[in-house]
Amino acid sequence: MKLLLLWVPLVLVPLVIHNNVVLTILIFTYLLGILAVSFNLIFGFTGQLSLFHAAAFGLSAYATYLAMAHWGVPFWLGMVVGVVFVSLVSLVIGTICFRFNLRELYFAIVTLAFSELFRLVILNWNSFTNGSLGINFTLTPTLWIPGRGVVPVQGTMMWYYLSLVAVVLAVGFYSRIVHSWMGRCFASIRLNDDLADTLGINVFRYKLIAFVAANAGAAVAGSLYSFYISYIDPHYFSIDQSLAIIAMALLGGSRYVAAPIVGALVLTALPHVINVNAEARLLIYGLILILTILVMPRGIVGVLVTGLRRPSRAPQTPERPRHAA
Amino acid sequence: MLQLVVGQLLNGVIVGTLYAIIALGVTLTFGITGIVNFALGAFMMLGAYFTWYFSDGLGIPYPLAVVLATLAIALVGLVADQVLFRFTRNNLINGLIVSIGLISVIVAIVLMVWTTTPQNMHYVLPGVFRVGGVIVPKMKAVVFGVLLLVILFTYAALTRTWAGRAAYAYAQNPEAAALMGVRTKVLQAGVAAYSAALAGLGGGLYASLYSITPEIGAGYILKGVEAAILAGIGSVMGSFAGGIIIGVAEGVGSIFLPSAYNDAYGLVFLVLILLFKPAGLFAVSSR
Repeated sequence: MKLLLLWVPLVLVPLVIHNNVVLTILIFTYLLGILAVSFNLIFGFTGQLSLFHAAAFGLSAYATYLAMAHWGVPFWLGMVVGVVFVSLVSLVIGTICFRFNLRELYFAIVTLAFSELFRLVILNWNSFTNGSLGINFTLTPTLWIPGRGVVPVQGTMMWYYLSLVAVVLAVGFYSRIVHSWMGRCFASIRLNDDLADTLGINVFRYKLIAFVAANAGAAVAGSLYSFYISYIDPHYFSIDQSLAIIAMALLGGSRYVAAPIVGALVLTALPHVINVNAEARLLIYGLILILTILVMPRGIVGVLVTGLRRPSRAPQTPERPRHAA
Repeated sequence: MLQLVVGQLLNGVIVGTLYAIIALGVTLTFGITGIVNFALGAFMMLGAYFTWYFSDGLGIPYPLAVVLATLAIALVGLVADQVLFRFTRNNLINGLIVSIGLISVIVAIVLMVWTTTPQNMHYVLPGVFRVGGVIVPKMKAVVFGVLLLVILFTYAALTRTWAGRAAYAYAQNPEAAALMGVRTKVLQAGVAAYSAALAGLGGGLYASLYSITPEIGAGYILKGVEAAILAGIGSVMGSFAGGIIIGVAEGVGSIFLPSAYNDAYGLVFLVLILLFKPAGLFAVSSR
């Protein structure tokens, strides 16, 4: 509960700072923060490197828009369609991966394969998705506000508060999961899933729950993000997007629920603070990934909490017997 | 129709050997260092650019340019191994993430130096072979021959030489190998450099056939990893077969389905293999 107070200053930010650039950076930070926080459930807490997260993000963005455009549903119902669709897809993919006990590299590769397959379909189904050109949105989400009735969500202020509420809800949701008995099951799977199985934990079920719950968060982020920038294209699914998600989670700190938001802030603000082009941005992403793993595997928040000293025991990712498929 | 099928079959075999050379590097690195180096795709791309630059930029004859580029990439691979991957040995996820980071660094540098404009090398060896209506460009035949020789050489070196047997021993049991006098640090660095050299050679030969862009590495490493896993990671001839299978599936598949879905075949194969025969297509016993 005390941690909830940390959010209060963020509520006050728009009242103090009227700079649109700063607020826009924060909006992107919150929206991408949801993406990174949800990714961290499967990656940081359950120890499975899923490369499907960017695809969940993109699929939901497409599903939300297409549901609105074809069925005429309002945005929030469209988002529900997106989340339900992504959850069902994740349920199928997760069942396939975990039923066949795919681990580590094999899990990463198969989730990557599925996200590539979805990207190929989105890219080539021109009549439905407009292919590589993407879709410019003409629809906007609406919101019922007491005293003002139903109003369209537009302008920096409204998006600021909407995304702030969304990220707070996401952090609340995931921290409830992580700090419950379920979270301890995830941790036991991360540390040693054979042992977890021996102890009577249903490894398959909890991996599946973590995978679906993480992707559902990505789906929410995808709906909001795509409507904030009013545009979708197959780049949502790209490997660069997955890379950015991993970078945010690692840089922030993969041991803390809200820490990936710090990573999202750094990576979103960096290109604005030091004015660089796309190539240099890619270079910085790469260097951040490498340096984070090699120098501070516990991320910014981890370093702030415990200092640069290396933990005496338990490396970041436990070593497993090699060639375990 | 038959000509078309045979033509695509041959084409698939040739592209498949390019996948195979990457797959070989993936398999060797995994066997010895316990990580999957996705940066091999970026090394291949870099090899293509180096060859193009040495040959068209500096005027060095093509065969020499390929050799120089291969050596240069071996050096890049060695440096990357000593500076980065040395610290992620046997930690698959960290190794994966570091290699992904390295890819962005390499791609970013290539973008800065050579921009996104596709580069085309001069025709090294114009002309075609015609065999009963099927047309095979001479250069493709040469590329296939060179790659096949290198793969056979690698196989022979691994099975017939002391260093090769040391590598096999290390892959089976690192401690026992070390006790038997295998200098494991040297072996690991050597294999990392050799795998990079294979990727660099693949890139150098690729340069003579197709346009070079900074993105080519991503596609090839994906196919390489698919091929390596398809056949069962750790097997030299298996990765060769895996590469050919994916290449042929793409070549023949493009006759029947839109070529936009070319990249999907390998992925579908891979998922099926991992689900039903996780130790690989040619594994004798499972696990």
